[in-house]
Amino acid sequence: MSEGWLLWALLGWPVAGILPCLALRSPRVNLGWTSCVVVAQALLASAVIRAVWIAGSLRMGPVLFVDALSAFHLGVMMIVFVTSTLFAPSYFRHAIESGEFTPWGARRYAALWLGALAAMTLVLLSDNLGLMWVGVEATTLLTAMLIYVHRTPASLEAMWKYLLICSVGVAFAFMGTLLVAAAGRGTQDALTWTHVRKAAGMLDANTLKLGFLFLLVGYGTKAGLAPMHSWLPDAHSQAPAPVSGLFSGFMLSAALYCIMRYVPIVEAATGGTGWSLRLLTFFGVASILVAGAFIVSQRDVKRLLAYSSVEHLGIVALGIGLGKVGLFAALFHTLNHALGKTLAFLCAGRLGQHYGTYDMTRMQGALRASPLWGAGLMICVLALLGAAPFGVFVSEFLIVKAAVEARATWTLVLLLTGLAIIFIGALRHVIGVVYGLPPATPAARRPGPVEVVLVVLPLAALLVLGLWMPDGLRRAIEEAAAVVGGKP
Amino acid sequence: MRWGIQAALGMLLAPLLLGVITRTKAFFAGRCGAPLLQPYYDLAKLLGKGAVYSRTTSWVFRAGPVVGLAAMLMALAFMPAGGAVSPFAFAGDMLFVAGLLGLTRFFTILAALDTGSAFEGMGASREAQFSALAEPALLLGLAVLAKQSGELSLSGVMQGISASSWGVVGPELVLVSAALLIVFLTENARIPVDDPNTHLELTMIHEVMVLDHGGPDFAFILYGSAIKLWILGTLLVGLLVPVRTGNAWIDGGAFAGGMLALSVTTGVIESTMARLRLVRVPHLLVGAIALSTLALILVLR
Amino acid sequence: MSLLIESAMVLLVLTNLTLLGLSRLRSCIRVVAVQGIVLGLLPLAAHADDLAPRIILLAGGTVALKGFVFPWMLLRALRVANVRHEVEPIVGYTLSIVIGIAGFGMSLWVGSRLTIPGAAAPPLVLPVALFTILVGLFVIVSRRKALTQVLGYLVLENGMYAFGIVLVGEIPMLVELGVLLDVFVAVLVMGIAIYHISREYDHIDVDELDALRG
Repeated sequence: MSEGWLLWALLGWPVAGILPCLALRSPRVNLGWTSCVVVAQALLASAVIRAVWIAGSLRMGPVLFVDALSAFHLGVMMIVFVTSTLFAPSYFRHAIESGEFTPWGARRYAALWLGALAAMTLVLLSDNLGLMWVGVEATTLLTAMLIYVHRTPASLEAMWKYLLICSVGVAFAFMGTLLVAAAGRGTQDALTWTHVRKAAGMLDANTLKLGFLFLLVGYGTKAGLAPMHSWLPDAHSQAPAPVSGLFSGFMLSAALYCIMRYVPIVEAATGGTGWSLRLLTFFGVASILVAGAFIVSQRDVKRLLAYSSVEHLGIVALGIGLGKVGLFAALFHTLNHALGKTLAFLCAGRLGQHYGTYDMTRMQGALRASPLWGAGLMICVLALLGAAPFGVFVSEFLIVKAAVEARATWTLVLLLTGLAIIFIGALRHVIGVVYGLPPATPAARRPGPVEVVLVVLPLAALLVLGLWMPDGLRRAIEEAAAVVGGKP
Repeated sequence: MRWGIQAALGMLLAPLLLGVITRTKAFFAGRCGAPLLQPYYDLAKLLGKGAVYSRTTSWVFRAGPVVGLAAMLMALAFMPAGGAVSPFAFAGDMLFVAGLLGLTRFFTILAALDTGSAFEGMGASREAQFSALAEPALLLGLAVLAKQSGELSLSGVMQGISASSWGVVGPELVLVSAALLIVFLTENARIPVDDPNTHLELTMIHEVMVLDHGGPDFAFILYGSAIKLWILGTLLVGLLVPVRTGNAWIDGGAFAGGMLALSVTTGVIESTMARLRLVRVPHLLVGAIALSTLALILVLR
Repeated sequence: MSLLIESAMVLLVLTNLTLLGLSRLRSCIRVVAVQGIVLGLLPLAAHADDLAPRIILLAGGTVALKGFVFPWMLLRALRVANVRHEVEPIVGYTLSIVIGIAGFGMSLWVGSRLTIPGAAAPPLVLPVALFTILVGLFVIVSRRKALTQVLGYLVLENGMYAFGIVLVGEIPMLVELGVLLDVFVAVLVMGIAIYHISREYDHIDVDELDALRG
């Protein structure tokens, strides 16, 4: 356990990185510094992941603890963070040049961005369920101001809704956390996950069930599961593209990760009857269907992508609910969705800047107007819809397989119906955006090499994951799935 | 015997409370104020006058003050004061007393309506509205006390409440006392609900109803309201100063002190608070109902 | 000692009902402050026998934050926002109080049915905590102003805090501090948001923030 200090470093580094941000004057330098901090954090994170890979878990003191599940999510988080942080300078270039993105704005943006990184790291590293909650609530508060970077009335409205709905929702999760602690009254350290997990059989099952309901509603609000998703399309559509990418790519998954932590506890305490799994299945299917209904009639491309996030988080929840293969598929899907959705938001953001609107009926011929972003959006959406050679296809296929194996006929029917509706509905909109003749607008700026790499790399990764799964990744996901699936 | 003295003292001293309240208000306003015995002078003066009756009024108008005073005196007969038990007490007399208060109000309102004056009609309507809200608060408060002491007569209730019951159900008793205080202020037309001094028709409630009465009739009304003040005050003081030693002098002294303190407090409230806007008065009364209900819920639990 | 806790509970119920009946935003903020102080002192009453420094510290922090810092921040937001100081509720004051009493009855019923293993707190604490949570939610949905929604959130949080005292008793210091810090930041961020909303719209009526749909 000599690498324990790494966990402190992982937690402290982004916080330390905030200080220089507040001193830097030039917005560009500030964004550059943020990128440096995030990349260094990614290196630290990979060291942690490597240590977990070797030792199985990593602990530092009574509160910091990383096992296969959190290490996996740590990896996903760093992919999302690195992509969207490196993308920020090109996204804000215009705003910086026009003076809309002031030095103060940049300082605030950078500080909140790193603060969000620290808070999400806390969620993943914390062994204490209470601290995990503190981390989730902190992400809500720190990211709220990020929505209001573009100072429009609509973004203000979105920020307020996000702030209030998520705060209240997450407060319910706190209640759930307390109830879980109450269920474990008498046992030592009733809030420490590793202890609760071991003593799960001795917990009071009814109190625990009540607590899980609160947790599911609370963290489910943050994860955007229907019907608690109402803040999600507003916040995603009004936030700047890197923030939307971060929200969709990882923040939602972080909330779902919290629910995953509780699933094995509830299952062990209720004797493996699958009570919590059925709830997750229900919310998962509901999310897929609700998202489908809204996607068909959507006009705003970022809202379309936001509802697609509701759908994908629903798929992940469904996967967990189905168990076994489904669990493996759910975690794999988390990774695929993070790769695809972050990039999709970035592409949509750049296209929106080019057209001056996110209304899909007025964005046409993206492939000609801006080949890189147009193609990027097209391929991302295709991949996210589950088209064949990409990673999402594999994970969705595995979930269908899990449903078949579990003989969950109705779930399967609803899932396939939902996916079909979304496939047709979303593709219809996006084809309209990508093909056709662009309106007479000045030609887009030629993308720089960094931007090309940022688009090509995730797409390549999605493609590779669809065709070939590396043994290392398979083992990592299997171990993470075992944490949720109930290997004590 | 003890009770007889207490009741006689009540009849005698009731107007004095009005004097104390007026004096307190004068003190806060920096005046030396009317003499303490001014209400007695007023009563004497009014009794010496003749009454003038409008030709449009009927017997209801004349009956109002008489019935009101009679009902109040009857209610006084049931009030246990200073540890004394009323000889007329029966199970459920608390409802009877509340009913007598209602009867007085009913006849005052009828008499006011009988004049056919728009002003008095307006006052009557307000009085009806507010007392409709004050009455539930009073009844619920009494229900709490009945439940707490296990008795259904006012005398039994007052015997059942002692200093030790404050240690057991203190919070509930505080709630009931607060509710009863609001009822006390409302029923006696005091600030913050009504201003006994104002003669501005738009804001008056109680005073406007009795504008047309004069002479002995008005004296009856004044005296009746003094007795009403005494009755509701007795209830409050019995609750707040639960000295039940059995010694007539100590109990009676504590009671007298309590009544004096209550009048001074009323004067202080009237001097320091502003009258509420009419639309806000129901909120206050609903608040009183809420307090009583809350106490009842807590006691029944 | 149990009488002390009981009185605190009654005080909590009263602050909740008062909050429902008040029409001035300023008074609402004060009532929530009083509630925060009562709650902050609750652990002291609960652990009157053995006052650990940790408990005193937390109580002090809670009282300072909820009783003084939050009201100051909210009053400041109110002053800067410069809007009408009336609550302007969607559900009227009188009806709100009646609903509040009904809610309290319901919480008592639920509290009597809900058995928490080994909860050694006085019987009234659980229903009052539930009631406070309900009132918080009700204030959030039944009042128009952004500021009242923040107050509702605070009341909700107070309810959960009381809940925590009953249910768990021993929450690690670190978690309690983290929760306090989070609530502090929440009020701070919401205050900033209220400022921006009032600047942008000249009001802070949340039900008029309805541009985003679908």
